[in-house]
Amino acid sequence: MLDIQVKNKLIKITGPDRYLDRPEELACYAYDAFVVEALPDAVMFPKTTREVSDILKIASKFKLPITGRGAGTSVCGAPVPIQHGIVLCFSKMDTIIEVNTRDRYIVVQPGVVNGDIQNALAPFGFFYPPDPGSMNTSTIGGNIAQNAGGPRCLKYGVTVDYVLGMEVVLASGKIIRFGSKNVKDVTGYKLSSLFCGSEGTLGIITEATLKVLPKPETVKTLMVTFDNLDNTANAVTDIIGSGILPAAMELMDQMTLNAIEDSANLGLNREAQGSLLIEIDGVKEACEKEMKNIIKKVKENGAIHIQEATSDKEREKLWAARRSAYGVFAKLAPDIVSEDVTVPVSKVPLMIRKIVEITDKYKLKAGVLAHAGDGNMHPMIPADRENKEEWQRVEKAFSEIFQAAAELGGTLSGEHGIGLAKSSYLHLVMNKDTIDFMKTIKQAVDPDLILNPGKFV
Amino acid sequence: MTQKTLQNCGKCGLCLNVCPVYKLLKEEQASPRAKLQLIKSYDNDTLASSPLLKEIISKCLMCGSCAAICPSGIDHYSKFMEMRQKMARSQGDTPAIKSLIYLLARDYRLNFGSKLARTGQKFLPESFARNYKLGNIPLKNFPKLNRVPFRTANETVILPDKAPVGTVVYFTGCATNYLYDDTGSAAIGILKHMGYCIIIPKDQTCCSIPLLFHGAQDKAFKNILTNIKVLKDLDADAILVDCSTCGEALKNEYPRIIESRGQNDSDAKKIAAKVIDVLTFIDQQFDRLEFDSSATKKISVTYHAPCHSKNTFQSHINAENLLKKLPNVNYKPAPDMDECCGGGGTFFYEYPKIAKKMVDKKIKAAKDLQVTHWLTDCPVCRLNLAGNLTINDRMQVLHPVTLIYSALKSI
Repeated sequence: MLDIQVKNKLIKITGPDRYLDRPEELACYAYDAFVVEALPDAVMFPKTTREVSDILKIASKFKLPITGRGAGTSVCGAPVPIQHGIVLCFSKMDTIIEVNTRDRYIVVQPGVVNGDIQNALAPFGFFYPPDPGSMNTSTIGGNIAQNAGGPRCLKYGVTVDYVLGMEVVLASGKIIRFGSKNVKDVTGYKLSSLFCGSEGTLGIITEATLKVLPKPETVKTLMVTFDNLDNTANAVTDIIGSGILPAAMELMDQMTLNAIEDSANLGLNREAQGSLLIEIDGVKEACEKEMKNIIKKVKENGAIHIQEATSDKEREKLWAARRSAYGVFAKLAPDIVSEDVTVPVSKVPLMIRKIVEITDKYKLKAGVLAHAGDGNMHPMIPADRENKEEWQRVEKAFSEIFQAAAELGGTLSGEHGIGLAKSSYLHLVMNKDTIDFMKTIKQAVDPDLILNPGKFV
Repeated sequence: MTQKTLQNCGKCGLCLNVCPVYKLLKEEQASPRAKLQLIKSYDNDTLASSPLLKEIISKCLMCGSCAAICPSGIDHYSKFMEMRQKMARSQGDTPAIKSLIYLLARDYRLNFGSKLARTGQKFLPESFARNYKLGNIPLKNFPKLNRVPFRTANETVILPDKAPVGTVVYFTGCATNYLYDDTGSAAIGILKHMGYCIIIPKDQTCCSIPLLFHGAQDKAFKNILTNIKVLKDLDADAILVDCSTCGEALKNEYPRIIESRGQNDSDAKKIAAKVIDVLTFIDQQFDRLEFDSSATKKISVTYHAPCHSKNTFQSHINAENLLKKLPNVNYKPAPDMDECCGGGGTFFYEYPKIAKKMVDKKIKAAKDLQVTHWLTDCPVCRLNLAGNLTINDRMQVLHPVTLIYSALKSI
């Protein structure tokens, strides 16, 4: 509970309707899709940059922790207010300020849902490429803070590649604007790169200008199965290595395929040890040529079954299968841990073998999924956190998986972010001086450490 | 068991995007995910019962959209009903909701009540009716109650217009019985035309959904047993509902509730297997319909898909199919056809401001289509949509069966 005088000052900014502090309400802002929870002292819903600035001025005066939140779909605990304080929820600051497809950008407030950006662009034949699994719910502020990615980021790149400009409120309450509406802009530091992935530890994003692209005219989707997981992974390395760049290339192992099949009955091949869902897009002729090359490569790697979607409906069915993976695993146990270690694509076969080896060693049931084309692994382990012994095995396994990824020249997170989930493993991929450099930046812009404290920096 | 199942909510947040209340309020506490979290906290004794907790839990349309999309297969519906019961017990209910439960729990009370209310409607001072609202609906826009309850006005067994092709049971629900007998008459007309012998069991009673939503589980259980007893031995090809919420109850809730009380659920399951909504039934046997070819003018029509049609039966697809095939109809699909209207049982009464915003959005989209008829197969949606239209909107809200019936050739 905040001091009554501070509370009154805060309520003056937004009015009582956008200030919550009753226990029943606070309980709803203690979580995201990760397993750790912490209660805030208050939740506020700013609607303007001015309000955010005024709140931060008070927060820095009284040294109150400020944790940003959009729709709370993070899977690493980023919006969990681990040191309590105020949760700034941006869901009501959700105006699309400008759609300009002639100049290829869109200007949005942080609470705009990724899917609504797609809907706003669709009539013009444009799209915004980053497509996290939560895109129909998650907000752009959260997407930027976490530098979110998704399946088609293999070809198109992640959030940071699409942020042209931003407005940010600093811990002091000062409002800064950087970048512009120009696709080319090398004026000064590329500050958008600094704030993408900052997870709310450097400033609060209050507006963003995003680059958008015209929709490709043709999309082709292929489901390929293999009788062994090594072949599946080798096919990935082979396709990417030969210069083909699909929009997405999703790998699923046998356990995942069977779990999906158990729940959805889509007619997937249960015997297959591994499968790839490959999508290419672009000009029709180019797609056809690429498709031929891909089919050649998968055959060389021992594909046992190749199915091309012949209609949008079939394509949707294949993607529905892939998307349902998280859910079907969630049904297997009370909790599910999904991580996103990433390795260079040539190391995908090795990393997959490592994951299987480690989870076998700890006697854990694990599904191996990956946005394989960009080396982004998604090992998923269903478990029960109430079962202390099992939970310890899960933690040990992930620790070794992180270690293995680091040894292969990989990294901790491809698209989820660090948050609470992986902050203790940073040293695996960064030396002390690098971590200190991040801390120096943090100290410089947030000397009282009020912005999302207790996270990775 | 409850505990473990609840924990299966991975908090992925997919439900936020389909929850009509969350989408409007943009507050986590309005979301299905938050409600599960609060239920868990309440069951763990980390959160006590309170008026606010009850309010958050009941600020829900019970539309079932969250359960339909949940990748973890959580049964939000029964979890919310259970919690509503706990809240009703510990916090009580408003007198209005209590009276509703009292009435719905016994059909004779409802029968008597409707007579009183009809008299009341007659004597209601004009000025009062003009100025007052029930929930988000102006009193003057409420429909007149049926002069005689539909089941009283009709025989228990109705013979077809032509050589019989089969027998169906018609579960009329309370709305058709007391409020919208035009729906019932049209449904009977169509079924007779198709060649069906129709049984309308006199002793059927409220399906219990409103009771379950308001935590009156024991009263609901008595109704459920009554309906099962009435329906189980009838020799019929199908049990038809004109309201998808009644259908939801018969199809899903009855077997689940009977089983949860440790009783033999074979009768409930037998009934559930025969339940089908009237529009799907007609669509499946469209060939049996003969249309009046003399009519030349087409009526422009749009359709509002009730949440339970969408989430329980997926029958909104069949309803649209049917409308497209009707010779007297020019069907114009609404872009927000399957968005909730905010009616939600008694939601429009309990949360008029939220409901008003939702229904106004729907009305705007429907008006843009310039149609004269707005069809929907749920009586609460109909009440809510029609109740919020003005004369200037020039739109009539009806159950689709009414238009289908009007297009048929008389035999």
